[in-house]
Amino acid sequence: MNTDRYQHISDTALLERFYADKDNQWLGILLQRYTMLLLGVCMKYLKNEDDAKDSVQQVFLKAIAELHKYKVAYFKSWIYMVAKNHCLMKLRDQQGKSPAMLNEQTMVMGEEPLSVESHLDKDRMLDAMTLAIEELNAEQKQCVTLFYLDKKSYTQIADATGYSMMQVKSYIQNGKRNLKIGVERIIKQQ
Amino acid sequence: MNKDLLNILSNSNKDIDNQQLMDYLAGKLSDEERHKVEMQLADNDFINDALEGLENVKDPKDINFFVDQLNRDLHKKLLQKQKRKQKRKLLQQRWVYAAVVIILALLIATWLMIIKYQALKGRG
Repeated sequence: MNTDRYQHISDTALLERFYADKDNQWLGILLQRYTMLLLGVCMKYLKNEDDAKDSVQQVFLKAIAELHKYKVAYFKSWIYMVAKNHCLMKLRDQQGKSPAMLNEQTMVMGEEPLSVESHLDKDRMLDAMTLAIEELNAEQKQCVTLFYLDKKSYTQIADATGYSMMQVKSYIQNGKRNLKIGVERIIKQQ
Repeated sequence: MNKDLLNILSNSNKDIDNQQLMDYLAGKLSDEERHKVEMQLADNDFINDALEGLENVKDPKDINFFVDQLNRDLHKKLLQKQKRKQKRKLLQQRWVYAAVVIILALLIATWLMIIKYQALKGRG
């Protein structure tokens, strides 16, 4: 099916169309948008191409069945949660592991925007950020600064610092999380 | 003070397209474009996990092939489901048609019997 002509329709609009006429073709168009991402998520957890492909198919079937039963508001977050849960369950069955299950509440799609951000003027936020960035450890501060302020790519940062790509990624992600916590604390103190 | 500091905590809601991901994996993007993709990775667990997983595919050229295969399979399954649904509907409709035919036959038979009865009565 040629899905290009549906590109202008948002995920939410496709879901609304599906809920209106229960025609599975809308789900096909919607799910197809995420095939590559779902394959990637399944590959990350299962580390096997055949298992990953098999899991994507099962995630599709599960999604089709579930979407007939109830309404989903944030499809992208939801399908990610379905895929991740499926992989964790599969790993548990394979290895007897009991990974923590995710649910829509605990699953975070991206990070929550800073709760106080909208209420503060930019100058106060900038002051808090400047203080919080100084509180990061040396590696996180270096990587966060190079990535967000100097707009360097992971590769460029790895070349400049001598850290591995994985380290760079981890310093940036942890640094961002710590910055958020730091800013919230500083603002509360003020 | 660097205004870009504010961008650190604002999350990007932009979607990344498959081609961009493939180009990123293939190392075809410029440093600036790589940085843009990585900004989305830092903001979005779904894309971040997906990219880490896609990096594990032995031959990156297979990714598009796998995706096409999965999409074909998805549409095949949806078509099968649709056909099953139509078949069920048709089966239900058949019973309705059968009931209509039986009722019509009964009505015609009753009508014929009444005519016959009246004819006999007229003769008698």
